[in-house]
Amino acid sequence: MKRVILVAGALALSAAAFAQAPSGPPPMPPYMMRAAAPAGDRLAPGRDGQSLFEAQCGYCHLAGGMGTNLLTKQQMMAGNPPQKGLLTNREDLTGDYIKTVVRMGKGAMPQQTKVDITDAELDAVAKYLGKAG
Amino acid sequence: MKLHLPPRVSPKQFQSAMTAFAGVVGKSWVMDTDADRDAYADTYAPGSTEEWPASAAVAPASVDEVRAVVRLANEHKVPLWPVARGKNLGYGTAAPRMEGTVVMDLGRMNKILELDHKLAYCVVEPGVGFFDLHDQIQREKAPLWLSVPGNAWGSVLGNALEHGIGYTSYGLHARNLCGVEAVLPDGDLLRTGMGAMNNNPAFHLFPMSYGPTWDLAFSQSNLGIVTKAGVWLQPAPETSLEIVWDIPNADDIGWVIDTITPLKISGLIDQNVFIPSWLGKMVLKGQRQDFWDKPSAIPEWRVEELLKQYKLGYWQVALRLYGEEPVVKARAEVVKAAMKRNLAAAPQEHWWRQGEPIGQYEITMGVPSAVPLQMSDWVGGRGAHMGFSPVVPATGKHVLDQMHRSRKIIADFDVDFYASFTIGGRFANNVNMLMYDRDNATEVAKMRKLFDALIVETAKAGYAEYRTHLGWMDPVMETFDFNNHALRRFDEKVKSALDPNGVIAPGKQGVWPANYANMRGSAYKGGQ
Repeated sequence: MKRVILVAGALALSAAAFAQAPSGPPPMPPYMMRAAAPAGDRLAPGRDGQSLFEAQCGYCHLAGGMGTNLLTKQQMMAGNPPQKGLLTNREDLTGDYIKTVVRMGKGAMPQQTKVDITDAELDAVAKYLGKAG
Repeated sequence: MKLHLPPRVSPKQFQSAMTAFAGVVGKSWVMDTDADRDAYADTYAPGSTEEWPASAAVAPASVDEVRAVVRLANEHKVPLWPVARGKNLGYGTAAPRMEGTVVMDLGRMNKILELDHKLAYCVVEPGVGFFDLHDQIQREKAPLWLSVPGNAWGSVLGNALEHGIGYTSYGLHARNLCGVEAVLPDGDLLRTGMGAMNNNPAFHLFPMSYGPTWDLAFSQSNLGIVTKAGVWLQPAPETSLEIVWDIPNADDIGWVIDTITPLKISGLIDQNVFIPSWLGKMVLKGQRQDFWDKPSAIPEWRVEELLKQYKLGYWQVALRLYGEEPVVKARAEVVKAAMKRNLAAAPQEHWWRQGEPIGQYEITMGVPSAVPLQMSDWVGGRGAHMGFSPVVPATGKHVLDQMHRSRKIIADFDVDFYASFTIGGRFANNVNMLMYDRDNATEVAKMRKLFDALIVETAKAGYAEYRTHLGWMDPVMETFDFNNHALRRFDEKVKSALDPNGVIAPGKQGVWPANYANMRGSAYKGGQ
């Protein structure tokens, strides 16, 4: 438990207005520099799942994001390696599960509207992340 | 969530309104299923989300579509609740104040229309989030910084219009708004300030209109729907210095405020200085159960232990100065000398110079982050929070009075005390964060009673909130009682004159149009 707290604390170190680590600022993580969402009709199927995931979900679910921090902690408490905190490293997610969590919310994650992510976009993201089918 | 119709609207009338809206925005952008209604429910609702239920949502993509939907809303007598990105977390999220109101989600209007590197401003639509603007500034390598709130997942305009605060020199976000375009309740389109003249290039530069100035009349307001606005941005400084003091004791906040406020008023410090209590740091270190495994409030002795163990002060002042290096150095000497009169320990100092990387959590350097939302995880379960947010004069006496009062009330309810004071000038915003598990009915009921008590007792002492959750909009408006609520009378006279059908955000901030006056207080359960 102690190790988990320490790692989670380190991930969140110097959040908000608090002092930064003495070793200097951590580099800007990918979630701070998201690529623009791919062009095209948001209601049409077939857009790129990875780009959509990075643009629409990256605020929290790229490295360093809030969702990644919390999931890293959860994964470690379940005895899994911290890398599993990144959704892109998960092998056990199904498309349907992803859709449910996105639309219903889970734990600290609020539910997402169709303006946040359309059904067509969610299909593409679920396909990209849902490695377990 | 099941369908809750707006007052006096029949199912047939509602359905024809939905069909009419779909004719404007397209069928896919009218969202009226049970699942859609859930999506627009208050994520952090203290109690059932069905207390503030939307009947549907409609998402226009342009000013013309907004105007058309507003005209149809008048025709069908169906009220709208405009939200920018709907992330007003802790204050109601995207949910409407009045049952059955249709959320107008402006998230599709997400264009950055201008980003002026020289005059340091942008013009944005409501759907532009802090992350989007930050990304665009990086892409263009614009020498500009944002001012961001604690949770930067939301909209730049939405936050400014809700009177959100940030922690840079541009931290009073509503003050950064300059030149507003708004759709009025009858569907007319208004531009304020110099924008009232066609093609005037000073639209987003001069902050007043010829005659009455209306920009802020559209903030925390139901007089119109803001479809774009100018936002002033901070020029990226050459250097910045963060000076961090850990302040040992709770009552030290008095001298801290009396030390910093004069320097803020004189302009020597230009930042909004954020002073959070220790729990603000602990929530990022794990879950509550890791530090105190009982449901009762963490007792004083355990707080003392935790402060010692984690080398924390009761408060932390992380003050930041911006500008050319010699100027920052000179200012820093003045600030440090002032603080040293009460605190011998030397502060930590962190310099940043142009060209160096900026840390991902540097909220005082305008870097957006959603990480502070991790506090939702502190209590476990489906964590949520509400902020009790009174404004007090920025003197040690007032701040200590306020802190002692809130702390006692919160302790009486056996809840953890987590407060911050942000010095914005002659005033301080005090936010008391109340964290709870949405699925724990006893805890939710306690939080509601606590919230009632905080409003009542704080008002008795002469202070009021600057912003509140949907469920308390009426009670907080009630506290503004000069001349038998003259402000509300005026607000409602204007509201009813401009919006006789009450189609825009009825009940917003406790301001009700005449046709829905009977709905006042209807969602307020008095702590039950």
